[in-house]
Amino acid sequence: MNSSAKFLAIAFLSLPVAHAEEVGERWGTADKEREFYPIVDVPIPQELVIEAGAFETLPDGRIAVGTRHGDVYFVSGIDDAKPQPKYHLFASGLDEIFGLAWKDGSLFVTHSAELTKLTDTNRDGTADRYDVVSDAWGYGTYHEYAFGSKPDPQGNLYVALGLSSSYHSHQLFRGWAFKVTPEGKSIPIASGLRSPGGIGFNESGALFYMESQGPWNPACSLKHIKEGGFTGHPISFNWYEYAPNMGKAPEVPKSGSKIIIEKERIPQLEPYAVIFPYIRMGRSLSGFVIDGTSGKFGPFENQIFLGDYTQSILVRATTEQVNGVWQGACYPFREGLSTGILNTHFTPAGNLICGGTNRGWPVRGLKPYALERLAWSGKMPFEIERVTVTPDGFNIKFTKPVAEAEGVKTATYKVTTFTHKYAQGYGGPEVDLTAPNVKSVEISEDGLTATITLDAMTKGHVHEFDLRDLRDRDGEELLHRHAYYTLNEVPSSK
Amino acid sequence: MHPRTLPSLALLLSGGFCFAAPPVVPGLHGKHPLDETQTGRLLIGELRCAACHEGMDASNMKEAPDLSNAGARLTREYMEKFIADPAATHHGTTMPNVLAAETPEKRAAIAGDIAAYLTSLKDGPAPAFPEGEIDPYDGKELFHSAGCVACHSPRDEATREVLKNGVVSLSHLPGKHLPAALGEFLHAPLAIRPSGRMPDMKLSKMEAHSLAAYLEGENKTKPAPPAEAARIDAGRKAFQAHNCTACHQPEKDANTPPLAAKPLAKLDLTGGCLSEKPGKAPDFQLSAAQRDAIRENLGIKRDEIAANDRINIHLTRLNCIACHVRDDFGGVSPKLDDFFHSTEESLGNDSRIPPPLTLTGAKLRPEWMRKVLYDGAVVRPYMKTRMPQYGEKGLSDLADLFAETDKLEPLVELAPPERESQPQMRDGAHDLLGDQGLNCIACHNYNGKESPGMKGIDLMTTYERLQPTWFYQYMIAPAKFRPGIIMPSYWPQGKAVRTDILDGDTDRQLRALWDNFSLGRSARDPSGLRSEPSKLVVADKTVTYRGRSGVAGYRGIAVGHPGGMNFAFNAEYGSLTAIWKGEYVRVNWQGQGAGDFAPLSPHIQLSQDVAFLNGAEPPSVWPAHPVVTKEAPVNPDPLYPRNHGYAFLGYSLDTKTSIPTFRYRCGETLIEDTTKAAEKSLERTFTFTAPAAETLWLRALTGDIKAVSETVFQTADLRITVPLKSATLRPIASGGMELLLKITLPKGKSNAALGYELLR
Repeated sequence: MNSSAKFLAIAFLSLPVAHAEEVGERWGTADKEREFYPIVDVPIPQELVIEAGAFETLPDGRIAVGTRHGDVYFVSGIDDAKPQPKYHLFASGLDEIFGLAWKDGSLFVTHSAELTKLTDTNRDGTADRYDVVSDAWGYGTYHEYAFGSKPDPQGNLYVALGLSSSYHSHQLFRGWAFKVTPEGKSIPIASGLRSPGGIGFNESGALFYMESQGPWNPACSLKHIKEGGFTGHPISFNWYEYAPNMGKAPEVPKSGSKIIIEKERIPQLEPYAVIFPYIRMGRSLSGFVIDGTSGKFGPFENQIFLGDYTQSILVRATTEQVNGVWQGACYPFREGLSTGILNTHFTPAGNLICGGTNRGWPVRGLKPYALERLAWSGKMPFEIERVTVTPDGFNIKFTKPVAEAEGVKTATYKVTTFTHKYAQGYGGPEVDLTAPNVKSVEISEDGLTATITLDAMTKGHVHEFDLRDLRDRDGEELLHRHAYYTLNEVPSSK
Repeated sequence: MHPRTLPSLALLLSGGFCFAAPPVVPGLHGKHPLDETQTGRLLIGELRCAACHEGMDASNMKEAPDLSNAGARLTREYMEKFIADPAATHHGTTMPNVLAAETPEKRAAIAGDIAAYLTSLKDGPAPAFPEGEIDPYDGKELFHSAGCVACHSPRDEATREVLKNGVVSLSHLPGKHLPAALGEFLHAPLAIRPSGRMPDMKLSKMEAHSLAAYLEGENKTKPAPPAEAARIDAGRKAFQAHNCTACHQPEKDANTPPLAAKPLAKLDLTGGCLSEKPGKAPDFQLSAAQRDAIRENLGIKRDEIAANDRINIHLTRLNCIACHVRDDFGGVSPKLDDFFHSTEESLGNDSRIPPPLTLTGAKLRPEWMRKVLYDGAVVRPYMKTRMPQYGEKGLSDLADLFAETDKLEPLVELAPPERESQPQMRDGAHDLLGDQGLNCIACHNYNGKESPGMKGIDLMTTYERLQPTWFYQYMIAPAKFRPGIIMPSYWPQGKAVRTDILDGDTDRQLRALWDNFSLGRSARDPSGLRSEPSKLVVADKTVTYRGRSGVAGYRGIAVGHPGGMNFAFNAEYGSLTAIWKGEYVRVNWQGQGAGDFAPLSPHIQLSQDVAFLNGAEPPSVWPAHPVVTKEAPVNPDPLYPRNHGYAFLGYSLDTKTSIPTFRYRCGETLIEDTTKAAEKSLERTFTFTAPAAETLWLRALTGDIKAVSETVFQTADLRITVPLKSATLRPIASGGMELLLKITLPKGKSNAALGYELLR
């Protein structure tokens, strides 16, 4: 065999392996997804660099875009059929923008240095007044990014602060979350953050942030922030003396334990509500947004849409509160975006705008930066709409009625479970695999919900659903056959 | 904004063709691969035979233009003329004459009625011009470079079409569209003609309107006055009676089923549309050859068509073959070669001629091909000819067909390499790519950065686009896949020319490159790649930029004044920390770089400690800011500024000059701090707002300070002018001097000023 012959096969065969180490294999569903959610490029003029980190809708319908370069553009025409938007520079010179919120006639910008209020006092279209709203945190390595939320109904804004170099807490309150009140008071409300990618609310107004895989975090996860809480990474306990409202520092968790065990011991500890199986459901999830489009974006009203930086994909998540603890599921949604997604936002027309960059970290998408728009084509995809828990199993809701033949078979519902260790090391494998039996299945009259019961419900485990055999009534298979439910709590039967 | 006009253009264009001509499918006039049966099949789709005849092949039928907004887009005069005699009005059109059997008078009357009816259809916005200057000369340039000439005739200096055959003439355009309508159509043609025979050329609005201005000349058309209701009604009836509705359904709510013609099984292949004198049947003005091809196709038994034949029909139908070679057909014809250009022509023909499609299904990953076909992905920005977008509808199977047809077999199977060798492989790839290795970056951009030489395709797109087997075989023998390419083989006959990298092992070298490309943005830059720092430029207004900086701390602010006086402000501690003259700052937006800045010219560094303190007397030792080190990385005094009374409040930008006025507090006193620049000096003005009378201390300067006068002090490179009777110069225990200014504030507002003058 000559040497050239050898390589061919190496490259050919090992492709998935080589890829898996870097950004992961594709789902392979992009071409089907295109039919339901086409991606439209939103052109950026050649002279501009728009590495979008945050979005906000302005009262006049324009979209504000905050960038890593520290600029804020007001963009009009994003929703046009063939967009050729106008970019108006509203403000510049800020430091890595990861939060934009319009409130009381001003734009509140969360960037590395501060939460700054931008106001156009002379109404000439550009900001001329930059007011510090909060700089209650230290800033001493470049990786100490700050992420800002939209206002809650009381007008509070929330800020999530990454660790120093993503491992330490060398500066004040690195790894903490803050509430900034309308009066300008900055209140530390939670410790334990590692490397946030976004902060916001679910559909019922509960505060969440996106956490990245790393020490004490076996994979990326959506975590609830409760006031006084601790979200899992203990390196930031050194600042409790600066936060008297938070009481004493929690007990340090035991490395190598399970979060479900540690949370019983450490009352402040909030387990992740939704964990995103590493690589399969993203590698660096980032900003997220709620679909509040009243159906304009399709069948996923009130669900959470999240972008992933590394894989240039979008996923969905749903949450519910059981026994006072948040938990829920995640679902694949769309792959094939052109750059690393840092944030997402719904436009007034109900389209999802995504933006980001591929600078600095491995990214599948090729463009150094891009804005892309997803619209719902109006065709109904056959999808798992959401999974919710019952005392002895799950309700799986679909977007279209399922075919009786496969739908009523318990064998159609393949459920496996796994959990992770809660440990100081970086990331962690899926362990304690189980395969519960599906004891029964019942299809609702409208064909839209399957209620399954399991012979075992394992608390603390991710319940992974694979419904590859399921069909809708046209014989179509699911666009995405997987869902992953993080089971922190099992509701008691009445 | 109305377009500028090209002199005498309208006049020259007003001639045009006045004889009828057969319908033109441009792809059939080039070097196409279809036999007569396949040609017939293609024509049946293009002429929409299945719209009237049951049993005909309706797949890939060209859709007729959407007329629902015709009244807002087209002139009534044009529609009237066109309907009365399509082929004579628009040379090469596929629209049949459905009134051919009528007398000339009656024909004109019916066409007038239908035009009146269509003029009444306004279901959509009225086309509008974009803001800005529309220049037909830009349109002329575009027309002859973007690829329009693949299907339309190039034009001479007098804007006359130079080719008569095999092209869809555009000489009918002057007078066809209402103002701005042609530009809007060219911007988004698929909205009106969804089948992509006129594809989307990825024109910006300005480009589209410039092109329209070139093609139609000065548009002096005016919307027709509304027609009488009776005439509109007569037109609507005629529209249905003449079966226009078989192809056009302009009214959403008034859909009428087409009138069925004879089904295929009962067709007389010498009569009707296929006879030389179609009589009452629609008259397509078919040529004898076209009639023969259609008859030939209708006569055969239709089996499943092979994938490769389906590809060939696609490529001919959409005239892909005007630009692309595949196997032994297609390619840029000699008469059009001169219209294909590049901004990197030294890269040879491959920089200006679209890539061959031979084996393209084995070359490109199907998902990438779809991005090119449907999403407009582009990796050759230097090529002036644009890859059109045909829409997804009729083309959704093309990538699969290519994948099915084009095969390039790997030869043997081996297990993947072990993990331990990875660092070595990465170093190997790094060495191969750089200027000490094969210098790939001499002709290729890399990872979004421009090559120092020719700006060929970005190598980092390799992994996303290509299939590994093709990559390997191509690298061994580029010319085998692209005859005439200037890319050399660095592994001739499979032997590596660089024997010193990765042991000269061809497999490992290519494997290393492939793996390197899979790293995307995280791959290291090869040696020799330019990495230009991003410079911020100050023009006619002051620029304020925030970011961490060695000269101003993490909450640093750089201020650049027009004229070149710059300074930096540490917003965390409230001190002016650096001054320099010359270029403003460079910022780090490379890699993960978070925009940290550094002065572009030598700067004078000042103290970064808090600048203001309040109290009757200054502290005996001015409080120093906390320092972190590698050994002790945790900030030992995180409340340092706050404990010394300092809080940063923000800044305002002057409406005219954009000069920032910083706002901060010392205790209860509000300090507004702004600067004015002269040639080599800065004047800094403080405005204090004190709720009660108090004393502030400002440490204005540290270092080897000499007193020049009671109000002037200087170091080796900086002279500072202070208010009268304010200054105290005292030694610092650790060495040097410090200049303290006592500022006695009354209740309310007061001012003070400092001058900074550069001595070098």
